[in-house]
Amino acid sequence: MPSRTGSRSPAGLVKSLPERGLLLLMVLVLLEGTVLTLGAASSPDINHQENLGNDQEANKVTNHTKKAFPVLSLDYHHIQTPFEISLWVLLASLMKLGFHLIPRLSGIVPESCLLIVVGLLVGGLIKLAGENVPPVLDSRLFFLCLLPPIILDAGYFLPIRPFMENLGTILMFAVVGTLWNAFFIGGLLYAVCQIQPANPSDLHTLELLPCLLFGSIISAVDPVAVLAVFEEIHINELLHILVFGESLLNDAVTVVLYHLFEEYAGVGTVTVMDGFLGVISFLVVALGGVLVGAIYGILAAFTSRFTSHTRVIEPLFVFVYSYMAYLSAEMFHLSGIMALIACGAVMRPYVEANISHKSHTTIKYFLKMWSSVSETLIFIFLGVATVDGPHSWNWTFVTVTVILCLVARVIGVVGLTYIINKFRIVKLTTKDQFIVAYGGLRGAIAFSLGFLLDKDQFPMRKMFLTAIITVIFFTVFVQGMTIKPLVELLAVKKKQEAKRSINEEIHTQFLDHLLTGIEDICGHYGHHHWKDKLNRFNKKYVKKCLIAGERSKEPQLIAFYHKMEMKQAIELVESGGGVKLPSAVPSTVSMQNIQPKKIPPAKSVERALPQLPKGREEEIRKILRSNLQKTRQRLRSYNRHTLVVDPYEDGLGDLLLKKQKMIELEKKIKEMSNYLTVPAAPPDSPTMCRARLASDPQAYSVKPANDSVPTIQVDLASPQSPDSVNVMDEFRRANQEEEDQGLMMRPPHGQSGPNKSGEADGTRDQQKLMRCLSDPGPSADEEEDEPFLP
Amino acid sequence: MGSSSSSIDNIPNAQEIMQETGFSAAHLLRLYERFQFLDRDQTGKLRPEDFGALRELAMNPIGDRIIGAFFSPGQETVDFPSFVRILAHFRPTDSNRTREGPQQEPANSRTRKLKFAFQLYDQDRDGKISRAELLQVLRAMLGLQVTEEQLQSIAERAIQEADLDKDDAISFDEFRKSLEKVNIEHKMSIRFLR
Repeated sequence: MPSRTGSRSPAGLVKSLPERGLLLLMVLVLLEGTVLTLGAASSPDINHQENLGNDQEANKVTNHTKKAFPVLSLDYHHIQTPFEISLWVLLASLMKLGFHLIPRLSGIVPESCLLIVVGLLVGGLIKLAGENVPPVLDSRLFFLCLLPPIILDAGYFLPIRPFMENLGTILMFAVVGTLWNAFFIGGLLYAVCQIQPANPSDLHTLELLPCLLFGSIISAVDPVAVLAVFEEIHINELLHILVFGESLLNDAVTVVLYHLFEEYAGVGTVTVMDGFLGVISFLVVALGGVLVGAIYGILAAFTSRFTSHTRVIEPLFVFVYSYMAYLSAEMFHLSGIMALIACGAVMRPYVEANISHKSHTTIKYFLKMWSSVSETLIFIFLGVATVDGPHSWNWTFVTVTVILCLVARVIGVVGLTYIINKFRIVKLTTKDQFIVAYGGLRGAIAFSLGFLLDKDQFPMRKMFLTAIITVIFFTVFVQGMTIKPLVELLAVKKKQEAKRSINEEIHTQFLDHLLTGIEDICGHYGHHHWKDKLNRFNKKYVKKCLIAGERSKEPQLIAFYHKMEMKQAIELVESGGGVKLPSAVPSTVSMQNIQPKKIPPAKSVERALPQLPKGREEEIRKILRSNLQKTRQRLRSYNRHTLVVDPYEDGLGDLLLKKQKMIELEKKIKEMSNYLTVPAAPPDSPTMCRARLASDPQAYSVKPANDSVPTIQVDLASPQSPDSVNVMDEFRRANQEEEDQGLMMRPPHGQSGPNKSGEADGTRDQQKLMRCLSDPGPSADEEEDEPFLP
Repeated sequence: MGSSSSSIDNIPNAQEIMQETGFSAAHLLRLYERFQFLDRDQTGKLRPEDFGALRELAMNPIGDRIIGAFFSPGQETVDFPSFVRILAHFRPTDSNRTREGPQQEPANSRTRKLKFAFQLYDQDRDGKISRAELLQVLRAMLGLQVTEEQLQSIAERAIQEADLDKDDAISFDEFRKSLEKVNIEHKMSIRFLR
């Protein structure tokens, strides 16, 4: 997409100029509107009061004055709050749109920086207009509305395996690293403030505890900022999960330190007892948060077991339970972030086994949408709050803070890695350490925590806020902008394409079993042993409770395989049904041009099929290759706003093979003289057409099975898995049948599933077929063709 | 652990084994004690029944294959050096190998680890994983929960994906290629055996 609008030719520029102009105009109008409405916001109260007063007086004097009936009146006050909220959200979204129309800019500057700049502009405009800047980064708004969607999105899609494998490392960085940062920064700041005996300044009034409090606020790596910056640089999974996991888990530490120091800053001293209580408090906060999250997660999983009749509200359960987990944790001053992560991670495997494909897509889309908007808003508000916020600039304090943050981070990472590497199998290299240290970005959480400080208790609040904002700006702008070139320069390993093949899945499970066995032989209760035990427990008890129906017994490999097959089937239909070749090649793949010939069987299935002429084959190959490469390139840039790339990514060979099969099948169908009994299908698309499926499930009622008519066997591979349609079987059977009659679809009789038989079965299978067909799931093209929100 | 009878000197050829496999003396001792524990009738050699006594291993879907891997084809017992040699495959990979010379690769290199896993699949040792062998493994892992057709489809698909030279079987190179994204050094290492 960007490559087309960014063409160097003057024609290209001119074409995009009106677009840009239009967008700028819209933005200006919007800003104007924002300023005016925000300005109007402060005045209607007065008018209203006056009117009321006048009215009362008028009424007292006489009741006979009759006003003309207002045909059109303006009552802004009535809708003020929702209107303003909508305006902000709209502004955020338009900004996001705008950035991607300016291709070169979004390549150099990360989005977060641009958004902060926009926030600065908006704030500046409002101030110029003479109005009061609304306190947008209100801590309540931030912690209760803006932060949860981002964290839920992160938690729900957290890659569990790398997270668990590196949990020890992540915890070390999160807990010990943050503690080190807090004390180092706080302590040294205090020391620095105490020197300069020559000219006593405000700094001397700063005591140790407020300094430590400040240190604890500023030391935490921020998940929002990390996500925003790291998603654009595509580093390898290990580093990503290390920095990101650290940013999530250090919330518990931050909460405890913050409350501890805030509590005792007034008193002035912290005793050993308090320190001890602090440690206990940390354990309670962290584990309590996780427990609360897990409980809500299990509740959500259990609820989703019963939603088979009310599919429409399934996503709602996921969102509401998660949000309530967050709120409940916050109620007890536990770590809300950890609760949210735990809730999402716990409920995901069970919920996904229970809900329909459409709900699954809905959840994905909504989470990405909300988190995207939230993130945008946070950065814009950060800019606005910068313009507005009470500032008190103190050169010493601010510069020392910035320097100390950097130094503390580097020392912390290096020191901790040295210790951690003794326990890791795959050690962290220097490059890794550098990226981890450099990726320690601060963000809006620090600002909000600072904002929460009480003005009276902390007279230096303004200075703190200024320093926090400076650090945030520094990390986001300087580190954010330079991390991408640095990653290139250092040749850090990038994220690999997520092509999860069935081979990997099989072999990984095999290796798991192997390692568990070896551990047993060694008599060592290690990692694999406990994982195996957990899996067994999960399979035996938990899955039975939380997953509806027969799917509770489905092994993971089968579920994975079905997912792949489903996606392949959908993709096949999409690509084969209406062969969408680029316009450069006119519809040359029309059936008339294809000469039947013999094919050397690539697989046993195709033995009897005619072959495409060599030239045609090459053409098709070329077309497919170019198409696939485009898809590949687009997919390569995985980022958080792309919906998660699904386990199946088609390889060139696969697609070619299937393409050939499709074309051959179409050709065969063309040859058949008889009328197709597949209802509502276009004559050149013998397979299921997804659009029709979605709209007309009734179309696939079972026709009376006539044995003389060849059937496309829709093989419900097992009664346990209604959602799979084995397309490969479909082709195989169609090829083997006679060629001179029509086609029909029917579910196969004679299920080979264990202990199932009978009529009831047939109807149930049929219903399952309908459910499958009427609910085709996340479409391949939506996810794999274009990034959702790049 | 503290008994004086089991010291490193009791182990025959201890130095050789240590040199060959890279285990430290402490680890070797630990493994020797484990060997003696498994060797119920104190013959100095292990038989399949000794392995079978491990309850957890019996529950493992590929437990019998693992046990089989310890015994060279034709042999019915395994002695301590062979025992250790097999387990050496699961040592974490040393990133800095100072050994030079025309020796063969150490047992815990990535290739050797993969080769070991490959041989577990390839029971008839013909150098390829045929469809039947893959089906056997799948059947063992997935048990009775799936139908024969599903197994066939999965095996079919797996071979289709991995088989590059189209001989309907997976050779060692194809096996290795299909696992190139998996971190074998991490996955096939037991920290305990460092």
